[in-house]
Amino acid sequence: MEQNYDFSRIGKQMPYTVPDGFFEKLEENVMNEVKAQSAKKKATIVRMAIRAALAIAACIALFLVVKEVLPLGHDTVTDDFENVELAFNNLSTEDQDYLLEVYQEELILENNLNDLNDLNNEESI
Amino acid sequence: MIDDNQIIPLIRENVEKGFRLLMAKYKEPVYWHIRRLVVSHDDAQDATQDTFLRIFRSFSQYSGEGSFKAWVFRIATNEALRLLGRSQGKAILSLDEIPQVTITMKADEYFDFSNAEAIHLQEAITTLPTKQQLAFNLRYYDDLSYKEIATVTNSTEATVKANYHFAKEKIIKYMNTKNL
Repeated sequence: MEQNYDFSRIGKQMPYTVPDGFFEKLEENVMNEVKAQSAKKKATIVRMAIRAALAIAACIALFLVVKEVLPLGHDTVTDDFENVELAFNNLSTEDQDYLLEVYQEELILENNLNDLNDLNNEESI
Repeated sequence: MIDDNQIIPLIRENVEKGFRLLMAKYKEPVYWHIRRLVVSHDDAQDATQDTFLRIFRSFSQYSGEGSFKAWVFRIATNEALRLLGRSQGKAILSLDEIPQVTITMKADEYFDFSNAEAIHLQEAITTLPTKQQLAFNLRYYDDLSYKEIATVTNSTEATVKANYHFAKEKIIKYMNTKNL
């Protein structure tokens, strides 16, 4: 390696210069931008937190409304049968017999209609 | 001398105070590092501002492991290479290329014509491939360790040592021709 040139003569000197007060101005420019972006970041976080809180509140409100207006499926069916049974037990024996008779007649009528339909179908084939 | 271990927790605690401290320590080294690569004062000013804003935006990505100084210089180097790449129609300049600076050294408004030896030394440096320039500049001017330079250039210590050695040899050869 050639070793004639001695770096210690020049050290860290450079031919480059900067305008007066350049570094102070550079720092202020950067700090102003940092402050602006920092404030923007904080505002975004607050906005997101408010949106999240509103979304949660809306979900809770919707859940409460649904619970009040539309009773849930399985319990409703159970409640309906229980109510019908209770109402039937409260009737007089005569009324209970009458309802059972009508129910049985309906069943017989439905069975007869089904048989008639089957017969018609066989004839058309 | 401000310690990096003071800067990092302060930025996490109070970003404005922490950043003020970061600027106090790094604004000049970062500017001069970029200036040596891009030559033009205006370009160096733009890339330095972009460097600090990028540090602000990506500070959460600094894991706390490894040299903070190397992390800062890596961002500064990328901004300088991005600027040099743009002038050549690329996203970023490759480390294997010799930078085509947008302005000749002496055409810049902020230039000291009186120091011939300093001018020749910068001329010698700007003719080197980027990876050799980086190895030489970061070691000679910024006193980074080979390990830190390897972090900046995303290479190995052995590669950095070799690049520094080649750069120094070429610079000596160039300076010897100037009969200083």
